[in-house]
Amino acid sequence: MSVVYAFVAAGLFGCGVYMVLSRHIVRVILGLSLLTTAVNLVLFLAGRIRSAQPPLIREGSERLGESVDPVPQALILTAIVIGFALTVILAALALRAYRAHGTLRSDEINAAQTLGDPFAPGEADDR
Amino acid sequence: MGHRSAGWLLALLPAGLFAGFLRFTPAIEAGRTVTERFAWAPSLGVNVALRLDGFALLFCLLITGIGALVVIYAGAYFTEYSASERARFHALILFFMTAMLGAVLADDLIVLFLFWEATSVISFLLIGFDGASPSARRSALMSLRVTAGGGLALLAAILGLGVTLGSYSMTEVIARAPELARSPWAVPIVAGLLVGAFTKSAQFPFHFWLPNAMQAPTPASAYLHSATMVKLGIYLLARFETVIAGVPLGRDTLISVAMATMLVGAYQALRAENYKSVLAYSTVASLGILVMLVGLDGPMASVATVGFLLAHALYKATLFFCAGTVLHATGLSKLRLMGGLGRFLPVTALASLLASLSMAGLPPFLGFISKEFLFEAQIQSSWNAIPVAIAVLVNAVLVGVAGVVTLRPFFMGRDRVREVKHREVLGLLVGPMTLALLGLLISLQPDWISRAVLRPAVASIYGQPVDVTVALWHGVSPLILLSAAVVGVGALIFVYWRPIHRRLRTESPLDHYEAEHAYDALLRGIEAAARRTAGYVRRNDLRGQQWIIMASAGAFVLWGLLAAGVIPRARFGLSGVRFGPAVVSIVGLAGGVAAARARSLLAAMVATGLAGLVVALTFMMNGAPDLALTQFAVESLVVVLLTAALLTLPIAAPPTRAPRARRLDAMLATGLSVVIFVALIDVSAAPQRTEISAFFGARSYVEAFGRNVVNVILVDFRGFDTLGETTVIALSAVIAWSLLGPRMPREARFLADSRTGPFILVMATPLFYWLLLALSLVVLLRGHNEIGGGFVGGLTAALAFAIVALAHGVGIAREKLRLHPLMLAGGGLLIATASGVPGLVVYGDFLRHVWFEADVLGVHIKQGTTLLFDLGVYLAVLGTVLAFLFGLTREAER
Amino acid sequence: MTADALADGLAVGPVVIPLAAAAITMLLRRLPRLQRTVMEAGVALMLAAATLLVTRVARGETVVVKFGGWGAPFGITFVADTLGAALCTTAGIVALAVAIFARADIRDRRRRAGFDPLFLGMCAAVNGAFLTGDVFNLYVWFELMLVTAIGLVTLDRRRAQIDGAFRYAALTTMGATFMLVGIGLLYGEAGTLDMTHLSQTLAGRAPSVGVIAAGYLLLAGLTLKAGMFPLFFWLPASYHTAPISVSAALAGLLTKAAFCACLRILVVVFGVGTATPSVPGMPALLALLAAATMLVSVLAAIAQVDLRRLLAFHVVGQVAYLVMGLALASQAGAAAAIFYTMHTMLVQAGLFLGAGAIARTSGGYDMRALGGLIREHPVLSALFALLALSISGIPPLSGFWAKALVIDAGFRSVSPWSGWLVAVALTTGFLTLYSMSTLWMRAFQQPSARAARIRRRVPPAMMVAVGLLAGCTLGIGLAVEPVVRLSRAAAAQLTPAPAPRAP
Repeated sequence: MSVVYAFVAAGLFGCGVYMVLSRHIVRVILGLSLLTTAVNLVLFLAGRIRSAQPPLIREGSERLGESVDPVPQALILTAIVIGFALTVILAALALRAYRAHGTLRSDEINAAQTLGDPFAPGEADDR
Repeated sequence: MGHRSAGWLLALLPAGLFAGFLRFTPAIEAGRTVTERFAWAPSLGVNVALRLDGFALLFCLLITGIGALVVIYAGAYFTEYSASERARFHALILFFMTAMLGAVLADDLIVLFLFWEATSVISFLLIGFDGASPSARRSALMSLRVTAGGGLALLAAILGLGVTLGSYSMTEVIARAPELARSPWAVPIVAGLLVGAFTKSAQFPFHFWLPNAMQAPTPASAYLHSATMVKLGIYLLARFETVIAGVPLGRDTLISVAMATMLVGAYQALRAENYKSVLAYSTVASLGILVMLVGLDGPMASVATVGFLLAHALYKATLFFCAGTVLHATGLSKLRLMGGLGRFLPVTALASLLASLSMAGLPPFLGFISKEFLFEAQIQSSWNAIPVAIAVLVNAVLVGVAGVVTLRPFFMGRDRVREVKHREVLGLLVGPMTLALLGLLISLQPDWISRAVLRPAVASIYGQPVDVTVALWHGVSPLILLSAAVVGVGALIFVYWRPIHRRLRTESPLDHYEAEHAYDALLRGIEAAARRTAGYVRRNDLRGQQWIIMASAGAFVLWGLLAAGVIPRARFGLSGVRFGPAVVSIVGLAGGVAAARARSLLAAMVATGLAGLVVALTFMMNGAPDLALTQFAVESLVVVLLTAALLTLPIAAPPTRAPRARRLDAMLATGLSVVIFVALIDVSAAPQRTEISAFFGARSYVEAFGRNVVNVILVDFRGFDTLGETTVIALSAVIAWSLLGPRMPREARFLADSRTGPFILVMATPLFYWLLLALSLVVLLRGHNEIGGGFVGGLTAALAFAIVALAHGVGIAREKLRLHPLMLAGGGLLIATASGVPGLVVYGDFLRHVWFEADVLGVHIKQGTTLLFDLGVYLAVLGTVLAFLFGLTREAER
Repeated sequence: MTADALADGLAVGPVVIPLAAAAITMLLRRLPRLQRTVMEAGVALMLAAATLLVTRVARGETVVVKFGGWGAPFGITFVADTLGAALCTTAGIVALAVAIFARADIRDRRRRAGFDPLFLGMCAAVNGAFLTGDVFNLYVWFELMLVTAIGLVTLDRRRAQIDGAFRYAALTTMGATFMLVGIGLLYGEAGTLDMTHLSQTLAGRAPSVGVIAAGYLLLAGLTLKAGMFPLFFWLPASYHTAPISVSAALAGLLTKAAFCACLRILVVVFGVGTATPSVPGMPALLALLAAATMLVSVLAAIAQVDLRRLLAFHVVGQVAYLVMGLALASQAGAAAAIFYTMHTMLVQAGLFLGAGAIARTSGGYDMRALGGLIREHPVLSALFALLALSISGIPPLSGFWAKALVIDAGFRSVSPWSGWLVAVALTTGFLTLYSMSTLWMRAFQQPSARAARIRRRVPPAMMVAVGLLAGCTLGIGLAVEPVVRLSRAAAAQLTPAPAPRAP
């Protein structure tokens, strides 16, 4: 089973990479989101797929019985939350970039490059 | 206080130092050395070790004595400068003096290097003193780059000495020269020493900075570029003579470079037009003579070195002083235009004459004696005739130059100059007259000087005492004949100076080989390379940069695998495959592929969400319900927020890459996937180590009082991670709020805003609102023992307010919220952080949770600070999600 | 509670104090003055805690903090060894200087945009990265650094800032992704996240594909964040767009935190530099990267006309020296790298703040428009000169000792390529001096091309901040002995834990 999941995780990673290489910044954001998903799956696989039992201690017992490794789950939760925050921030940035430049293509957004550019004739406008 | 007196007063400092050094002469004469030592960095083997021996004493006297005269001279020279500029100049001169003294007194090589570089920097500041002149700036930069570049070579050599011999002490290194000579490092170390010394003392091919340094104000030129700084390289070479000689071709290199320098210096001295340039090039030639003397073996070479050092310092400084006075008085700089200045500047003319006679090597001046030593050293050494011939030629040129520099401007050409701007003042005369007279007096009364200064100096560098007899008449010998030859040829050069000068100034193919052109070419090369590099780095191609990053990561892994030569362990067991989950995950992969190929943004978004949901299902099916819930909630929320954000953006997004680029990208993506896949397979094949998870499983209920092990890990075992994550969330709220909406928020506007949505929604809203709020609290409270937790609780509560916003508008929602979302987020973070403090106070461990048990109204309640922590997370999430939501709404309303 | 426990508790100060202060400043968003005061108090307390920590650690005790009371390897621990404590203190000084400078540079609008909580969050993250002993915890701090950096760069919402921040985010998130994959693979292989426990588990094992992939992916992620060629494009794309206080903080703190993580993970976890590392082949790769980075960055710096861009490239170049020390794979090299880290944190931040002061007086960062500063502002010129000389490696400033230590370690190294690396380092040193001397001439000595520009005073806050950092570089240069001892002690402690003996 891990083979299938590993294949899927690697595949999703590849799709994410492909999207991140786009010149459209929204695709980049979606690609990063897809990458986050893929990496979460990688983390999950690190704990090995072996059981379907969630790591909850049953009433009456004091220890955890046979179950999935709980540690990767905690890590993934943290990673999901952080990835969520990043995705939304990036979306806000993309929105601002569109408002400022009128385009969503990364090769047409060049305010940072023109600021203080040694190859430009004069001083760049920094609005 | 008039500015002219300032110079006299300040000169008391170096004069005092001079007197102080004189007090050491009895000890030095007796053959002792004075040492002083302070610890500085014993771990590095660096100590401030100072050592005064004969050679150092000679230098110290020159530095302080000439320094005092320079200060007096400068006080009188700078009549047109402002007070602050004069102060700056004097300060620099005094700093420089300190640096030079430090360099010659240092016994520790690192300390010597410190002062060495200090002299380079101060020289840079002095040459570029007149910042308005482009040529001054260029010359200053040139001097800094050449001398500091050489300094780097010297540093490498010094560090190499530290590694090879284990010591930075100069005396120790010199004493262990034979040991060094046997080491394989000897040649690079000596090469570094030589480069350092050659750059400092303007030897070929590094000589070109010195004539350019004449851009400095003349007092600086007199001090640095004739008498002191340029001699520092000679100082180093003289000290390390045995070390250099121990290396094959060591002496040969010295002598060859010296000869080249002498010839180039002489040639350029005849070509030069400016008064100061002529002096500069003659200094170059003289420095070449000094290097050659260091390179020659035999005791007379050391004697000649010391003698020439002294003589040259005296007459060259005088000539520079006189040049300064002339320049100051007439405003002219070209020699051809000067003449008949003797009647305006009589004392200066006299000083110049005395100095020139010494330079020409005529008796009874000190220059004559030093020239005799020079020829005697050459004859005595094991070298053949070529150096002698070159020395004769170069010295002849120097004689000619001496004449040109004195007789022409002062005593010939009566009508060339009609008037002068400034007359002679005492301050301008003290320096040149003192030094010029010394040049005469010393040779007439050499007794005290040769006992107290010269003999100890020679003994220091030769290693043994040498009998030095300074006398004007040694009897008829080949030396006298050589001297006569020199004077004769020199006189001819002087008489025929104009035609020689004109002939040399015409273009010649030799001009192309000037070292300065090489320097300029080097600079042009650097600038060109810089522009090319900057252009390459500047490419505004986000895709290209990402490509490089990802390809690099893949390349790194490949490098590692190749370096280790391992193959993956594999356990390709397809036995455990469950059909359902496998299909589901393949669907997810299909979603990912669809997202990659989608033409419209909406489709891409939906496909990405689908992939995320499938992963959530996978989590569910493999025993991670908490995870599935969170993933599901987050994925939906992201889709909702992205849609809201992107409503204003164009949906259609045609492909931005050419087909070829897409193929490349697909290849890279595939490559990276393969790497990930192989690594995953390899890791899965490794035996799993369960120590940590077993610990958590065993202790979660017993010690942390929680049945939901994942939640216990999040808030207790690894609570610190969650605290960091909460900070990320809370600060995202800050960013969201500042990025979205108008730049200068006018808060009041929104509160009055309200609208009504669909009727059903309006009716159902209060129900949904309270239901969801209650649900969120339940989720929060039960998280420690069952599925739930602060994060999901916060999301649920945010959903409640989102529905209100949808139905009634953001204004009403914010009113219901009462607090600003950022307050909520900040408050949540504060609560979460504070929940770790009780543990710190009680147990001494931050985030160690404290538990309370109580019976309230018959109900047994057991709670701990974990609830506070989870509450903090809850509030932070609520605040952040609402900050985004409200922000997006504000944005949409623009 | 005993005094010992209190002292141990203080070790969380460098992280918890700024976190709490960040939360409080968020609550004070309507009161910018009070917000500023709380921020400054937070930074001062953070520096005090770090100083107390380093004095304790310098006496030879390693302080271990167990979060939640769970010791290693089960819980997260802070290993406040000499390296962590020294770097925390240096970071505290940099933060203090930036906070002082911010009095003059960050006005109310920027404060309302959230400068204080974001800055404090960044300080907490940097200190956390210095002190932590857990790899996933390290990842969390790096993500916090990323988020706060984005927020700080876009404080003014200018076009260039949005553009720069987006590129920064997109490129750095890739690095974080690589890191996380590496961490996941490590956990899968070793079953633990604690660095010491990881090194014990991996030691003595034959290299395997998973571990090698993990190691090199972690290297990719960390070198990206450190700003090494060819993964450094985010840096020149964004550093020059931010407000100058932010650029100074970024330059002084973030890349060095990534390098410290490199040190810990590569040396302790993977045993790079020992005879049998679990991830072979790293020193050679590091040397290659360092050499390439040095040359590319300093050449690109020479061609710049904007002061911030020039300094941004120098940031990259200086990090290359750090990696060079690491590449030499010896204790001397590590000690040199640690000394260099402390030096470069102070000097880089100082140069950026100095540039900010220059821009305040001259109205811009374009070097073609500057000039004559040595006459108008002699004190500022002197301070900037100290910093410029330090980065060029002129004695007796800290930069000289740093370079000398690195070159000395290079000479003592036995690797076949160390000679070439030292040659590249010396060439880069020469080119750095070239760049700085040209800058000095253009901005300070040369009279201004635009004489009509109104000259403004340098605000005292700016002068104090620049003076503080310039004073530090001079102080370290003169009192070099204790700092060298500190660096050597830190390097000596950076040894991988031996494999547990078979029972």
